[in-house]
Amino acid sequence: MSQILKREVVFALTGVVTVLMFVEYFFYPQDWIVASTVRNWAVIIYNISLGLGGVRLIMQHVWGTQRRKENWQFSALFLVAFVVMLLGGLVGYFTAGVATNNAVYNWLFNNVYTPLGSTTYAITGFYIFSAAYRAFRARNLDAALMLIAGCFVILSNAPVGEVIWSGIPAIGEWFRFVGQVPGMRAFEVVGALGMIAYGFRALLGKERGFYAGGAEE
Amino acid sequence: MSGQNIFDRLQSIDRRVFYWVLFITLMVPFINPIGLPVKVVQNTRDLYEGVTGDNINPGDIAIMNFGYGVSAWSECAPGFTVCAKALFREGARIVFMGAHYDVELSMNKLKNDAREDFADKVYGVDYVFLGYFAGGESAIAQLATDAWTVYPEDHYRTPVADIPLMQDFHGWQDVAVVLSSDTGDVGSYFLRQWQGAHGTKLAEIGIAMNGSTDYPYYLAGNYFGLSIGSRGGAELEVLIGEPGEATTAMDSINASHLLIVLAVILANVGYLLSRRKA
Repeated sequence: MSQILKREVVFALTGVVTVLMFVEYFFYPQDWIVASTVRNWAVIIYNISLGLGGVRLIMQHVWGTQRRKENWQFSALFLVAFVVMLLGGLVGYFTAGVATNNAVYNWLFNNVYTPLGSTTYAITGFYIFSAAYRAFRARNLDAALMLIAGCFVILSNAPVGEVIWSGIPAIGEWFRFVGQVPGMRAFEVVGALGMIAYGFRALLGKERGFYAGGAEE
Repeated sequence: MSGQNIFDRLQSIDRRVFYWVLFITLMVPFINPIGLPVKVVQNTRDLYEGVTGDNINPGDIAIMNFGYGVSAWSECAPGFTVCAKALFREGARIVFMGAHYDVELSMNKLKNDAREDFADKVYGVDYVFLGYFAGGESAIAQLATDAWTVYPEDHYRTPVADIPLMQDFHGWQDVAVVLSSDTGDVGSYFLRQWQGAHGTKLAEIGIAMNGSTDYPYYLAGNYFGLSIGSRGGAELEVLIGEPGEATTAMDSINASHLLIVLAVILANVGYLLSRRKA
């Protein structure tokens, strides 16, 4: 029975939903209530999965803290932050209708989350600079060509490139549109074909991981 | 270090030196702004022209999607703000929404950065903030066919049935233009489920890293315009004639880009000379 639930039922549901979406996309682009309803379920299930994810995250960190696993202190910190944010949000939600109407929640978001988010993103610039110096070496002709192209593209992205030499933006654009775009097109078309192939393999039951985990058949 | 010449030493500079050099280089323009002119490229101009002039009519509905979080404000927010200003000035009505969990912070920032434009706009009539949505591409597809099922109420828990603007927005056929600003994939969801399926006008205000992915769609006409990173934001600020955050950031972009190129040249000079000596 469990095998049927794990495999055949999933197989049948996937097939039915796929056909519904295909038919709607190509034959009923205005709106088709059946497909629309199924898609609405998908949105609801997705939202439920967010809650499930939250619960699973808490369980994971509670276990980690209880058993004093490696870096359990971070788990404990996570749990404290989670509870404080959750309570702050819930108080705001039940008293004023929106989570952000709570002072604690707002303070944490504006003074902890926002600066940390910006800083984390900005720090990558320092790593890129250091890595560029140590890794970008013209070890052969191919690497040298890539370096030269990269330098032109970097300088063409900044106004200073044009100040140095008016030809830099034109060369940078040439590398971008003539050199890079065809490559990206190829990647994207091949990626789309791969998605179609994966879809068919899943429908035909060839992707075991899609159904019940484990290796390919 | 004994026995090492200058070229060898150039190969093994401590990474902390780079961090300090970059830090100081980024500080200088903030203390003493340079203000080099910003040239507007065609993809940014197309984006701006697509939301102004004859391309947008008073009363048209535009969707603006916050697909970015706080960490990408420097790259996405300036361009997004200019587009919101431009649409409001054309008399368009805007539906704001977001696939990022901190969407409300981004909305608050937008309202602050474009406060003069929001000042004479009535919530629910000229604009509405629907808030966060979960569901990825399925939600975007559902939004095209039946928006009210994805958002039964707005961010402030007002039922959409009670919001005047939402009476005119049920799906893709009611929308004149979609602008998505992303660090991730949401723009491509709109591309497949709105532009590809229904031919909706779509443009992207993305981070610089996504530029290479977005260019092919712009050149193919899927995106009618494209703003890339802080530079795109600065170009949009030039087009609307109001220098802002992105224009200020251009000095740092200039300094950091130039520094990276100089570092790469220096490193390679050292590498080639030390190899020749060996």
